[in-house]
Amino acid sequence: MTGYSIHNKNTLIPRYGLRNLFFCILLLPGSVLAEVISSVDDETGLRGWEWHEQGISFQLRQRLPDQTRAFFLARGFNKAESDSIAQSCIFQSIFRNDGQQPLSYNLNDWQIHYQGRQQALLTRRKWDEKWQEQGVSQAARIAFRWSLLPTRQSFQPGDYNWGMTSFGLPPGESFDLTLTLHSNGKTLSATIPAIECAFAQPSGK
Amino acid sequence: MNRILLALILLLVPPLLPAQQAGKGLTELPQRIAAPDFMLSDMDGQQHRLSDYRGKVVIVNFWATWCPPCRAEMPSMQRAWERLQKEDIFMLGIDVGEDEDTVFQFSANYPVEFPLLLDLDSSVANQWPLRGVPTTFVIDTKGQIAYRAIGGREWDDPALLALVRLLKDE
Repeated sequence: MTGYSIHNKNTLIPRYGLRNLFFCILLLPGSVLAEVISSVDDETGLRGWEWHEQGISFQLRQRLPDQTRAFFLARGFNKAESDSIAQSCIFQSIFRNDGQQPLSYNLNDWQIHYQGRQQALLTRRKWDEKWQEQGVSQAARIAFRWSLLPTRQSFQPGDYNWGMTSFGLPPGESFDLTLTLHSNGKTLSATIPAIECAFAQPSGK
Repeated sequence: MNRILLALILLLVPPLLPAQQAGKGLTELPQRIAAPDFMLSDMDGQQHRLSDYRGKVVIVNFWATWCPPCRAEMPSMQRAWERLQKEDIFMLGIDVGEDEDTVFQFSANYPVEFPLLLDLDSSVANQWPLRGVPTTFVIDTKGQIAYRAIGGREWDDPALLALVRLLKDE
Protein backbone atom coordinates (compact mmCIF):
# COMPACT_ATOMS: atom_id res chain seq x y z
CA MET A 1 0.00 0.00 0.00
CA THR A 2 1.21 3.42 -0.91
CA GLY A 3 0.19 5.84 1.81
CA TYR A 4 0.44 9.59 1.48
CA SER A 5 -0.02 12.23 4.06
CA ILE A 6 -0.40 15.54 2.33
CA HIS A 7 1.28 18.23 4.37
CA ASN A 8 -0.52 21.51 4.59
CA LYS A 9 1.99 23.66 2.73
CA ASN A 10 -0.30 26.33 1.39
CA THR A 11 0.77 29.18 -0.82
CA LEU A 12 -1.70 31.95 -1.53
CA ILE A 13 -1.94 32.93 -5.18
CA PRO A 14 -4.20 35.92 -5.61
CA ARG A 15 -6.64 36.00 -8.54
CA TYR A 16 -5.83 32.93 -10.58
CA GLY A 17 -8.64 33.16 -13.09
CA LEU A 18 -11.95 33.50 -11.27
CA ARG A 19 -10.75 31.91 -8.13
CA ASN A 20 -8.29 32.35 -5.36
CA LEU A 21 -6.22 29.23 -5.24
CA PHE A 22 -4.30 27.64 -2.45
CA PHE A 23 -1.97 24.84 -3.35
CA CYS A 24 -0.80 22.00 -1.22
CA ILE A 25 1.90 20.08 -3.03
CA LEU A 26 3.56 16.86 -2.06
CA LEU A 27 6.51 15.40 -3.89
CA LEU A 28 6.24 11.71 -3.26
CA PRO A 29 8.96 9.11 -3.27
CA GLY A 30 9.63 7.97 -6.81
CA SER A 31 8.81 11.40 -8.23
CA VAL A 32 5.06 10.80 -8.17
CA LEU A 33 3.25 14.09 -7.79
CA ALA A 34 0.01 14.56 -5.93
CA GLU A 35 -1.61 17.80 -4.99
CA VAL A 36 -4.58 19.26 -3.23
CA ILE A 37 -5.96 22.54 -4.45
CA SER A 38 -8.26 24.61 -2.30
CA SER A 39 -10.26 27.35 -3.95
CA VAL A 40 -12.93 29.95 -3.26
CA ASP A 41 -15.57 30.76 -5.84
CA ASP A 42 -15.48 34.51 -6.39
CA GLU A 43 -19.19 34.72 -7.12
CA THR A 44 -20.63 32.54 -4.38
CA GLY A 45 -17.90 32.55 -1.74
CA LEU A 46 -18.23 28.79 -1.53
CA ARG A 47 -15.08 26.78 -1.08
CA GLY A 48 -13.80 23.76 -2.92
CA TRP A 49 -11.07 21.16 -2.55
CA GLU A 50 -9.54 19.15 -5.36
CA TRP A 51 -7.11 16.22 -5.21
CA HIS A 52 -5.15 15.10 -8.26
CA GLU A 53 -2.79 12.26 -8.91
CA GLN A 54 -1.78 10.55 -12.12
CA GLY A 55 -4.82 11.85 -13.96
CA ILE A 56 -7.23 10.81 -11.21
CA SER A 57 -9.08 13.60 -9.47
CA PHE A 58 -11.61 14.04 -6.70
CA GLN A 59 -13.30 17.37 -6.12
CA LEU A 60 -15.49 18.60 -3.30
CA ARG A 61 -17.52 21.79 -3.54
CA GLN A 62 -19.46 23.19 -0.64
CA ARG A 63 -23.24 23.24 -0.89
CA LEU A 64 -25.16 25.72 1.21
CA PRO A 65 -27.63 24.10 3.61
CA ASP A 66 -30.37 26.25 2.04
CA GLN A 67 -29.41 25.01 -1.40
CA THR A 68 -29.54 21.37 -0.32
CA ARG A 69 -32.78 21.86 1.59
CA ALA A 70 -34.47 23.37 -1.46
CA PHE A 71 -33.20 20.57 -3.72
CA PHE A 72 -34.73 17.84 -1.56
CA LEU A 73 -37.92 19.73 -0.74
CA ALA A 74 -38.52 19.75 -4.49
CA ARG A 75 -38.04 15.99 -4.62
CA GLY A 76 -40.64 14.79 -2.17
CA PHE A 77 -38.97 15.22 1.22
CA ASN A 78 -40.79 17.14 3.94
CA LYS A 79 -39.21 20.06 5.77
CA ALA A 80 -37.84 18.06 8.70
CA GLU A 81 -36.30 15.45 6.40
CA SER A 82 -34.84 18.11 4.11
CA ASP A 83 -33.44 19.93 7.15
CA SER A 84 -31.73 16.79 8.38
CA ILE A 85 -30.01 16.35 5.01
CA ALA A 86 -29.11 20.03 4.74
CA GLN A 87 -27.50 20.00 8.21
CA SER A 88 -25.31 16.98 7.49
CA CYS A 89 -22.41 18.64 5.64
CA ILE A 90 -23.27 17.93 2.03
CA PHE A 91 -20.79 18.57 -0.77
CA GLN A 92 -21.10 18.34 -4.51
CA SER A 93 -18.39 15.92 -5.55
CA ILE A 94 -16.80 14.92 -8.82
CA PHE A 95 -14.64 11.84 -9.23
CA ARG A 96 -12.82 11.56 -12.57
CA ASN A 97 -10.48 9.06 -14.09
CA ASP A 98 -8.53 10.93 -16.73
CA GLY A 99 -5.56 8.65 -16.16
CA GLN A 100 -4.40 5.63 -18.09
CA GLN A 101 -5.55 2.81 -15.82
CA PRO A 102 -8.90 1.55 -14.51
CA LEU A 103 -9.66 2.38 -10.89
CA SER A 104 -12.18 1.45 -8.25
CA TYR A 105 -13.20 2.91 -4.92
CA ASN A 106 -15.53 2.17 -2.04
CA LEU A 107 -16.65 5.11 0.08
CA ASN A 108 -16.98 2.76 3.05
CA ASP A 109 -13.15 2.60 3.06
CA TRP A 110 -12.79 6.39 3.38
CA GLN A 111 -12.23 8.03 6.74
CA ILE A 112 -13.31 11.36 8.16
CA HIS A 113 -10.94 12.73 10.82
CA TYR A 114 -12.88 15.07 13.08
CA GLN A 115 -11.96 16.32 16.55
CA GLY A 116 -9.60 13.40 17.17
CA ARG A 117 -12.12 10.78 16.06
CA GLN A 118 -12.49 8.79 12.88
CA GLN A 119 -15.82 8.18 11.27
CA ALA A 120 -17.23 6.98 7.97
CA LEU A 121 -19.16 8.87 5.33
CA LEU A 122 -22.94 8.64 5.25
CA THR A 123 -23.50 6.51 2.19
CA ARG A 124 -26.61 5.56 0.24
CA ARG A 125 -27.32 2.52 2.41
CA LYS A 126 -27.08 4.41 5.69
CA TRP A 127 -29.41 7.12 4.49
CA ASP A 128 -31.84 4.64 2.96
CA GLU A 129 -32.12 2.78 6.28
CA LYS A 130 -33.06 6.07 7.91
CA TRP A 131 -35.61 6.91 5.23
CA GLN A 132 -37.22 3.49 5.49
CA GLU A 133 -37.52 3.86 9.27
CA GLN A 134 -39.14 7.25 8.80
CA GLY A 135 -41.49 6.04 6.08
CA VAL A 136 -40.17 8.43 3.43
CA SER A 137 -41.91 8.00 0.07
CA GLN A 138 -40.35 5.75 -2.51
CA ALA A 139 -40.08 8.60 -5.04
CA ALA A 140 -38.10 10.72 -2.58
CA ARG A 141 -35.85 7.80 -1.66
CA ILE A 142 -35.14 7.11 -5.32
CA ALA A 143 -34.25 10.76 -5.94
CA PHE A 144 -31.98 10.78 -2.90
CA ARG A 145 -30.20 7.56 -3.81
CA TRP A 146 -29.32 8.65 -7.32
CA SER A 147 -28.22 12.12 -6.25
CA LEU A 148 -25.47 10.75 -4.01
CA LEU A 149 -22.08 9.78 -5.38
CA PRO A 150 -22.13 5.99 -5.89
CA THR A 151 -20.85 4.18 -2.80
CA ARG A 152 -18.83 1.80 -4.95
CA GLN A 153 -17.70 2.48 -8.47
CA SER A 154 -15.24 1.26 -11.08
CA PHE A 155 -14.00 3.73 -13.66
CA GLN A 156 -12.25 2.99 -16.90
CA PRO A 157 -10.06 5.78 -18.29
CA GLY A 158 -12.36 8.57 -19.43
CA ASP A 159 -15.15 7.81 -16.94
CA TYR A 160 -16.42 10.07 -14.18
CA ASN A 161 -19.34 10.67 -11.81
CA TRP A 162 -20.89 13.67 -10.15
CA GLY A 163 -22.87 13.26 -6.97
CA MET A 164 -23.39 14.59 -3.49
CA THR A 165 -21.32 13.31 -0.58
CA SER A 166 -22.51 13.49 3.00
CA PHE A 167 -20.16 13.75 5.96
CA GLY A 168 -22.63 13.92 8.83
CA LEU A 169 -21.10 16.96 10.55
CA PRO A 170 -22.71 20.25 11.61
CA PRO A 171 -22.45 23.32 9.33
CA GLY A 172 -19.14 25.17 9.61
CA GLU A 173 -17.18 22.24 11.05
CA SER A 174 -13.74 21.35 9.70
CA PHE A 175 -12.35 17.87 9.07
CA ASP A 176 -9.70 15.94 7.16
CA LEU A 177 -10.68 13.27 4.66
CA THR A 178 -8.58 10.23 3.87
CA LEU A 179 -9.63 8.78 0.54
CA THR A 180 -8.60 5.39 -0.75
CA LEU A 181 -8.80 3.93 -4.21
CA HIS A 182 -7.39 1.00 -6.12
CA SER A 183 -5.69 1.31 -9.48
CA ASN A 184 -3.35 -0.87 -11.49
CA GLY A 185 -3.01 -3.39 -8.65
CA LYS A 186 -2.05 -0.73 -6.10
CA THR A 187 -3.92 0.98 -3.32
CA LEU A 188 -3.62 4.74 -3.30
CA SER A 189 -4.46 6.74 -0.23
CA ALA A 190 -4.32 10.47 0.39
CA THR A 191 -5.58 12.93 2.95
CA ILE A 192 -7.28 16.19 2.05
CA PRO A 193 -6.79 18.46 5.05
CA ALA A 194 -9.02 21.11 6.59
CA ILE A 195 -12.18 20.63 4.56
CA GLU A 196 -14.95 22.89 5.84
CA CYS A 197 -18.66 22.17 5.85
CA ALA A 198 -20.52 25.18 4.49
CA PHE A 199 -22.06 27.66 6.89
CA ALA A 200 -25.68 28.62 6.53
CA GLN A 201 -24.39 31.54 4.47
CA PRO A 202 -21.09 31.53 2.57
CA SER A 203 -18.32 33.04 4.64
CA GLY A 204 -15.97 33.88 1.77
CA LYS A 205 -17.62 37.13 0.76
CA MET B 1 11.35 34.10 -3.65
CA ASN B 2 7.57 34.07 -3.81
CA ARG B 3 7.68 34.49 -7.59
CA ILE B 4 10.06 31.57 -7.94
CA LEU B 5 7.80 29.45 -5.77
CA LEU B 6 4.75 30.47 -7.79
CA ALA B 7 6.48 29.66 -11.09
CA LEU B 8 7.54 26.27 -9.73
CA ILE B 9 4.01 25.50 -8.61
CA LEU B 10 2.50 26.48 -11.96
CA LEU B 11 5.02 24.29 -13.76
CA LEU B 12 4.32 21.29 -11.57
CA VAL B 13 0.55 21.49 -11.36
CA PRO B 14 -1.34 20.19 -14.40
CA PRO B 15 -4.02 22.46 -15.86
CA LEU B 16 -7.27 22.34 -13.93
CA LEU B 17 -9.87 20.21 -15.61
CA PRO B 18 -13.08 22.04 -16.25
CA ALA B 19 -15.68 20.37 -14.11
CA GLN B 20 -18.06 20.13 -17.05
CA GLN B 21 -15.48 18.52 -19.31
CA ALA B 22 -16.93 15.41 -20.90
CA GLY B 23 -15.41 12.02 -20.38
CA LYS B 24 -13.72 10.19 -23.20
CA GLY B 25 -14.23 7.05 -25.19
CA LEU B 26 -16.32 3.97 -24.76
CA THR B 27 -15.33 0.98 -22.66
CA GLU B 28 -15.74 -2.30 -24.51
CA LEU B 29 -17.07 -5.00 -22.25
CA PRO B 30 -14.62 -7.91 -22.18
CA GLN B 31 -17.57 -10.30 -22.30
CA ARG B 32 -20.81 -9.02 -23.69
CA ILE B 33 -23.85 -9.66 -21.55
CA ALA B 34 -27.51 -9.64 -22.48
CA ALA B 35 -29.06 -6.24 -21.97
CA PRO B 36 -31.94 -6.57 -19.47
CA ASP B 37 -35.19 -6.13 -21.35
CA PHE B 38 -37.64 -3.42 -20.40
CA MET B 39 -40.88 -1.85 -21.50
CA LEU B 40 -41.25 1.84 -20.66
CA SER B 41 -43.45 4.70 -21.82
CA ASP B 42 -42.09 7.74 -23.58
CA MET B 43 -43.39 11.30 -23.19
CA ASP B 44 -46.18 10.64 -25.66
CA GLY B 45 -47.34 7.54 -23.84
CA GLN B 46 -45.90 5.21 -26.46
CA GLN B 47 -44.44 1.99 -25.11
CA HIS B 48 -40.89 0.97 -26.00
CA ARG B 49 -39.67 -2.57 -25.44
CA LEU B 50 -35.93 -2.99 -25.83
CA SER B 51 -36.28 -6.45 -27.34
CA ASP B 52 -38.34 -4.95 -30.17
CA TYR B 53 -35.12 -3.30 -31.33
CA ARG B 54 -33.35 -6.66 -31.76
CA GLY B 55 -31.28 -6.61 -34.95
CA LYS B 56 -30.55 -2.88 -34.47
CA VAL B 57 -27.79 -1.05 -32.66
CA VAL B 58 -29.28 0.92 -29.75
CA ILE B 59 -27.71 3.56 -27.50
CA VAL B 60 -29.37 3.45 -24.05
CA ASN B 61 -28.67 6.49 -21.86
CA PHE B 62 -29.69 6.59 -18.17
CA TRP B 63 -30.04 10.18 -16.94
CA ALA B 64 -31.92 12.60 -14.69
CA THR B 65 -32.86 16.26 -15.10
CA TRP B 66 -31.03 17.42 -11.94
CA CYS B 67 -27.73 15.85 -13.02
CA PRO B 68 -25.32 18.45 -14.50
CA PRO B 69 -23.32 16.08 -16.75
CA CYS B 70 -26.59 14.57 -18.01
CA ARG B 71 -27.75 18.00 -19.08
CA ALA B 72 -24.36 18.81 -20.57
CA GLU B 73 -24.33 15.80 -22.88
CA MET B 74 -27.92 16.16 -24.13
CA PRO B 75 -27.14 18.57 -27.01
CA SER B 76 -24.41 16.28 -28.34
CA MET B 77 -26.76 13.30 -28.03
CA GLN B 78 -29.29 15.15 -30.15
CA ARG B 79 -26.61 15.93 -32.76
CA ALA B 80 -25.55 12.29 -32.78
CA TRP B 81 -29.19 11.21 -33.10
CA GLU B 82 -29.66 13.46 -36.14
CA ARG B 83 -26.89 11.50 -37.86
CA LEU B 84 -27.53 8.02 -36.55
CA GLN B 85 -31.26 7.76 -37.12
CA LYS B 86 -30.64 7.92 -40.86
CA GLU B 87 -28.41 4.89 -40.44
CA ASP B 88 -31.00 2.81 -38.61
CA ILE B 89 -29.20 3.19 -35.26
CA PHE B 90 -31.47 4.01 -32.34
CA MET B 91 -31.15 6.06 -29.16
CA LEU B 92 -33.26 5.83 -26.01
CA GLY B 93 -32.93 8.17 -23.03
CA ILE B 94 -34.21 6.67 -19.76
CA ASP B 95 -34.95 9.19 -17.03
CA VAL B 96 -34.44 7.59 -13.63
CA GLY B 97 -37.06 8.26 -10.98
CA GLU B 98 -38.72 11.45 -12.23
CA ASP B 99 -42.23 12.05 -13.47
CA GLU B 100 -43.52 13.20 -16.81
CA ASP B 101 -44.03 16.83 -15.76
CA THR B 102 -40.43 17.16 -14.64
CA VAL B 103 -39.05 15.68 -17.84
CA PHE B 104 -41.48 17.72 -19.93
CA GLN B 105 -40.26 20.96 -18.36
CA PHE B 106 -36.67 19.88 -18.89
CA SER B 107 -37.25 19.11 -22.56
CA ALA B 108 -38.41 22.70 -23.15
CA ASN B 109 -34.86 23.87 -22.39
CA TYR B 110 -33.08 20.84 -23.82
CA PRO B 111 -35.12 19.84 -26.87
CA VAL B 112 -34.29 16.36 -28.11
CA GLU B 113 -36.06 14.27 -30.70
CA PHE B 114 -35.09 10.78 -29.59
CA PRO B 115 -37.49 9.02 -27.20
CA LEU B 116 -37.23 9.94 -23.52
CA LEU B 117 -38.56 7.05 -21.45
CA LEU B 118 -39.74 7.24 -17.84
CA ASP B 119 -38.34 4.77 -15.31
CA LEU B 120 -40.56 6.13 -12.56
CA ASP B 121 -39.61 3.68 -9.81
CA SER B 122 -36.04 3.11 -11.08
CA SER B 123 -36.80 -0.59 -11.42
CA VAL B 124 -35.17 -0.72 -14.86
CA ALA B 125 -32.08 1.17 -13.68
CA ASN B 126 -31.79 -1.29 -10.80
CA GLN B 127 -31.59 -4.21 -13.24
CA TRP B 128 -28.85 -2.68 -15.36
CA PRO B 129 -25.17 -2.51 -14.35
CA LEU B 130 -25.09 1.14 -13.42
CA ARG B 131 -24.38 2.93 -10.15
CA GLY B 132 -24.67 6.58 -11.17
CA VAL B 133 -26.05 8.82 -13.87
CA PRO B 134 -25.35 9.46 -16.60
CA THR B 135 -24.33 6.00 -17.69
CA THR B 136 -24.76 4.97 -21.30
CA PHE B 137 -24.69 1.55 -22.91
CA VAL B 138 -24.37 0.63 -26.56
CA ILE B 139 -26.36 -2.48 -27.43
CA ASP B 140 -25.32 -4.65 -30.37
CA THR B 141 -27.64 -6.24 -32.90
CA LYS B 142 -27.94 -9.38 -30.73
CA GLY B 143 -29.26 -7.41 -27.79
CA GLN B 144 -26.00 -7.55 -25.84
CA ILE B 145 -24.20 -4.71 -24.07
CA ALA B 146 -21.11 -4.01 -26.15
CA TYR B 147 -19.89 -0.69 -24.73
CA ARG B 148 -20.36 1.37 -21.59
CA ALA B 149 -19.64 5.01 -20.73
CA ILE B 150 -19.85 6.35 -17.17
CA GLY B 151 -20.28 10.12 -17.13
CA GLY B 152 -21.15 12.42 -20.00
CA ARG B 153 -19.62 12.25 -23.45
CA GLU B 154 -19.51 14.33 -26.59
CA TRP B 155 -21.70 11.91 -28.48
CA ASP B 156 -21.10 13.44 -31.88
CA ASP B 157 -17.37 12.80 -31.58
CA PRO B 158 -16.52 11.03 -34.89
CA ALA B 159 -14.28 8.48 -33.16
CA LEU B 160 -17.07 7.54 -30.77
CA LEU B 161 -19.66 7.30 -33.54
CA ALA B 162 -17.30 5.12 -35.57
CA LEU B 163 -17.30 2.55 -32.76
CA VAL B 164 -21.09 2.56 -32.66
CA ARG B 165 -21.35 2.18 -36.44
CA LEU B 166 -18.94 -0.75 -36.46
CA LEU B 167 -21.46 -2.73 -34.41
CA LYS B 168 -23.88 -2.65 -37.33
CA ASP B 169 -21.47 -4.61 -39.47
CA GLU B 170 -20.64 -7.37 -37.04
